[in-house]
Amino acid sequence: MLISYGQAILLGLLQGVSELFPVSSLGHSVILPKLVGWDIHQNDPYFITFLVATHLATALVLLGFFWRDWVRIVTGLGRSLRDRGIAPDDTDAKLGWLLVIGTIPAGILGLLLEHSLRNVFASARSAAFFLMVNGALLYGAEILRRRGAHDESDDDERVARQLTFRSAFGVGAAQAIALIPGLSRSGATMGGGLLAGLSNKDAARFAFLLATPIIGAAAILKLPELFGPDGNGVRGPAFVGALCSAVTAYLAVRFLMRFFERQRLTGFAIYCALAGAAASIYFLF
Amino acid sequence: MKSNNRALTALALIAGVLLVIVAIIYWVKTANDLPSWLPGHEAGSARHHVKHGVAAFFVGAACLVYAWFQTGTKRPPAAAGQ
Repeated sequence: MLISYGQAILLGLLQGVSELFPVSSLGHSVILPKLVGWDIHQNDPYFITFLVATHLATALVLLGFFWRDWVRIVTGLGRSLRDRGIAPDDTDAKLGWLLVIGTIPAGILGLLLEHSLRNVFASARSAAFFLMVNGALLYGAEILRRRGAHDESDDDERVARQLTFRSAFGVGAAQAIALIPGLSRSGATMGGGLLAGLSNKDAARFAFLLATPIIGAAAILKLPELFGPDGNGVRGPAFVGALCSAVTAYLAVRFLMRFFERQRLTGFAIYCALAGAAASIYFLF
Repeated sequence: MKSNNRALTALALIAGVLLVIVAIIYWVKTANDLPSWLPGHEAGSARHHVKHGVAAFFVGAACLVYAWFQTGTKRPPAAAGQ
């Protein structure tokens, strides 16, 4: 079997957590098999097929977790299209368009650069190095953050008021660095949110809302591979991995939304720096 | 509407329509049948560049939405939730 059920469970559990924690899921999925001596390579078609299932599960969990927000956002988008403009007090519509504008650069850069970047930086050594870089980026974002006004209004309203369309575009474009294994998508968007003046909690919220269409669309576009010949021998483990991924993704998003009410990215920065350094040293010898 | 705004809106409208057409071409033609000036043209390849089409479609849609907003009658907007 290409991926055993034991491997699928472990990789699924890891994927659900590391996709949403700002620690690079792709980097971990490259480093872990190498550390434990599994003969799994991230560019193998069957492994990409496996990742499609776990990513789809993560996207569905995010969609479910923020379901009420998405209903408001989609309704707001529809309202703005009907009115041919965004009303000054319509924060749902503004948040919707912020997400659209943030998704466009990430989607285009992802489509254009995905293959080349993954092929160039596919090794576990490179992923370990970039995990250290990810730690530095997270720490840098905490140091350089702008302090925005934080009031007790509705979370989505606050995000919509504080973010500009230009900063949403920048935060969205920053997601593209996650195409390099070791650099985190959620870390890039959370860091970008902090630089734009959001609090940790609001930056995490915007990062998760922004992640949902990108992760979901990437998974849906590759779904035919799961049900095509590339999926032969992987579908069972992929289903089990997706279930595990869904469970840990739900726990992760629930934990992180509470964690960022008071905590910062610093702990994750330290983890990435230490884990990246340890893995780099291990791979050297 | 100012003249530079009008030009930008017209440009967005044209770009939007062209990109939607490009998206359809990506979806219906194989890489071999794509015009040589389009990214993804590959002689002898039977694959479809679905993702290129998706990207072109969404950027085109974004251009059309921009034009739609810019050409709307400026009237007092409805309050949120109505």
